[in-house]
Amino acid sequence: MEEHTLAHGAYWTVKEFFTYPNEYIYWTIHIVIYPYLTGLVAGAFVLSSMYHVFGKDELRPVAKFSLVFSLALLIMAPSPLLFHLTQPQRSINIMMTPHFYSAISAFTFVYLSYMAIVVFEIWFVFRPYIVKQAQERDGIVGLMYKVMTLGSYDVSEAALHLDHKIIKILATAGIPAAGLLHGYVGFIFGSVKTVPLWKTPLMPFIFLMSAVISGVAVCIVTYIAGMAFKKHFICFVPIKSMSKVLAYFLVIAFLLEGIDIVFHAYTAEEFWHIMSELLFKRFAFKMIVVQWILGMILPFILLVLPNLTMLRSFIAASLVLMGVFTMRWDVVIGGQSMSRSFAGFLEFNLPVFSKNIEIFKEGLIPALFLLAAPFFLLYIFNKVLPVFKDIFTEQECAEAEDKMSKRLF
Amino acid sequence: MKMSHAWRPVIVILGAVIFLLILRTIYVPADFTAKNGDYKYQWHRTGNEKYWQDYPAKHMGQEFCGTCHADKVEKISASGHQKVECESCHALPEKAAKKHPVDLKEDFKYLLEIGVDSTRELCKRCHAKLPYRPAEYAGAKGTVKFKMIDPKTHNAGIECVTCHDVHSAGFK
Amino acid sequence: MVTRRDFIKAGLLTVAGMTIPISALEIFKPEALASLVESFSKKKRWAFVVDTTKCVGCGMCAKACKLENEIPFEAEVQRTWVERYIQTKDGEVIIDSPRGARYGFTSNDPYGKELKDEEVAKEFFVPKLCNQCEKPSCVQVCPAGATYKMEDGVVLVDRSWCIGCGYCVTNCPYFARFFNPVTNTADKCTFCYHRITKGKQTACIDACAFGVRKIGYLHDPNSEVFKIVSTQRVAVLKPEYGNEPHVFYIGLDHIVK
Repeated sequence: MEEHTLAHGAYWTVKEFFTYPNEYIYWTIHIVIYPYLTGLVAGAFVLSSMYHVFGKDELRPVAKFSLVFSLALLIMAPSPLLFHLTQPQRSINIMMTPHFYSAISAFTFVYLSYMAIVVFEIWFVFRPYIVKQAQERDGIVGLMYKVMTLGSYDVSEAALHLDHKIIKILATAGIPAAGLLHGYVGFIFGSVKTVPLWKTPLMPFIFLMSAVISGVAVCIVTYIAGMAFKKHFICFVPIKSMSKVLAYFLVIAFLLEGIDIVFHAYTAEEFWHIMSELLFKRFAFKMIVVQWILGMILPFILLVLPNLTMLRSFIAASLVLMGVFTMRWDVVIGGQSMSRSFAGFLEFNLPVFSKNIEIFKEGLIPALFLLAAPFFLLYIFNKVLPVFKDIFTEQECAEAEDKMSKRLF
Repeated sequence: MKMSHAWRPVIVILGAVIFLLILRTIYVPADFTAKNGDYKYQWHRTGNEKYWQDYPAKHMGQEFCGTCHADKVEKISASGHQKVECESCHALPEKAAKKHPVDLKEDFKYLLEIGVDSTRELCKRCHAKLPYRPAEYAGAKGTVKFKMIDPKTHNAGIECVTCHDVHSAGFK
Repeated sequence: MVTRRDFIKAGLLTVAGMTIPISALEIFKPEALASLVESFSKKKRWAFVVDTTKCVGCGMCAKACKLENEIPFEAEVQRTWVERYIQTKDGEVIIDSPRGARYGFTSNDPYGKELKDEEVAKEFFVPKLCNQCEKPSCVQVCPAGATYKMEDGVVLVDRSWCIGCGYCVTNCPYFARFFNPVTNTADKCTFCYHRITKGKQTACIDACAFGVRKIGYLHDPNSEVFKIVSTQRVAVLKPEYGNEPHVFYIGLDHIVK
């Protein structure tokens, strides 16, 4: 018989001072990645809705891209949970026997409703293309497109006009749904009453704002990289517009995160002595330097300094991505690092490689795989539904720039 | 009239919902209910209650051991150790425990590994002098003084059972 | 451009659309809502009393529990454990629970640091176990219905249904929950449900030679637990979380976490 003497969590947790005997860091790297990915989904979707709903015409070249990218991210978003569960083969139970007093059980409904909105918005957006491909191609690829038409080949003027209206409605409905999806992830953390760092009603909004900034940032980075890879002419106008959005939301995100800490410091409840040691000593580098200075303040300065360039946008967006990932880490791991006894600390050491599958699956290698997977999915989706084709010519680019410069926002 | 293409996604969604609901009726055990209508705290597979009710008990105590070792139980119940259950010293966590001469598992459905833990460490769990250990405790015949020793000075290195008889809680 | 009207319409539609699958699962049954108002506290209910003034820290309870409930002995998880609280004369509070106290406390050296008798202002032991809360936050958050509260107040885990998300573990203020290394599912103290329902005491009570622990029906006038809780001054751990724990402590101190 195999000996089961290693408690779940004991391998990667180092305890200091008094912690409860059963206390370990149970939510590890995958619970860091999960809100990170859902955040990217929400941000990317909001970006595409800015074109469809709020009439930001200069975003046309990135609208399709960000929409399809958000689907790629959305498909991968719950997969970290499968790696995290100790009984992943039973994950269907969460859909089959939910009870709605549990925040997590609402996941299925929030996730699937949002998935439906995104999938069918993509369907309506790409319908003319799908129908054309279904008619022109044959073989397996043709069959795939034929299935994707859902049996309708109606691309008449009237039909396309209807599509356009529906896209607007879906893009509008998608904004609260995206907000719900990610705000809800924030709620899962915010409602854990035993963890003082999480337990704040601001949590959904903090998560939402950091979601928007990370989503816009990932679109900037991927779009520039994707276009450069395809050797297309890159019009700077949509990137400039995205950079503006990024800068605005950076301010809100920073204020929300700041007020949370200020509030904890001011009210100084019984856990403040341990929380302050966490913030200003143990997590000081990750939180203050990486998350706030490198991840928010520096990119903000880079973005608002005059004469923004593509390289500066790219660097700022990359910094924001790193900053938001660190923020997720600090929230998830940091929250559990303070013992619930308020008298000790737990330290998390990310497992890199282990022969024990239980440990390996919560380690670095699956984490890297999960972070890379959405980009791989985007690459495949791009083969089926090309997203980098709808680009501005140099003339259109100049027109868009002219139009944008006349607007305040 | 021809159906507009815009309805097709709706049909797909409805199909998915119906599929999930059908899957649910097949997958979820029939005894999965919210007892007393309490979804918050009592939403579960009621069949599982039996699992916990029927979980095998392992600590049987003096009553069970006394069926064979009546003399020992009689001796210990007259001593200061009257409230110490047999398993405290005789149930061993290690699998390499000293075997009981009679196969308890087979013949008596007794599931613990039985041997003798006669180490100093075991006795120290109660009798090592700690300043905050209560000085006396309530026995069956009124309060009993709690005997504590300093393990560093009290015959260090010798097993307690060399001089002490555990069952009578006195000297040999 | 979408008008405000379109925006509101679409928003309402989304919300309505999300409600349909929910109502299909019948959570809006009237009795489900009624259960929120009317708790079952008037019924017969198990409760536990721990007299910390009597505990000597031998840890026999922790050992017995591990063997009784087949939690691998050397795994660093405990259904019940004992904590030691030391306040030194210069005001420092030291708390420890080496190996969950399953090998007991045999010397006065928390974290390997020897303490002299004269340095100690006060010191005591506090045994802990699942509080079998009236409003268990661990049960409330289970997304799959894999943990539940019995009508007699004991909270149990369905080992064949638990998905192992750890949400319950994180939501227990007392950290009474953990992952069982053998079943790989959430695990917790059951008040030895298989014993108390057959008229036996729990394994930890049997193993305790000092009468620290007691179990009984809270609303049975003949039970010792009822007598203690209704006539003596008892406290519970962390009442601020609103879980209404049902393990009552005699001699609790403000330094107890």
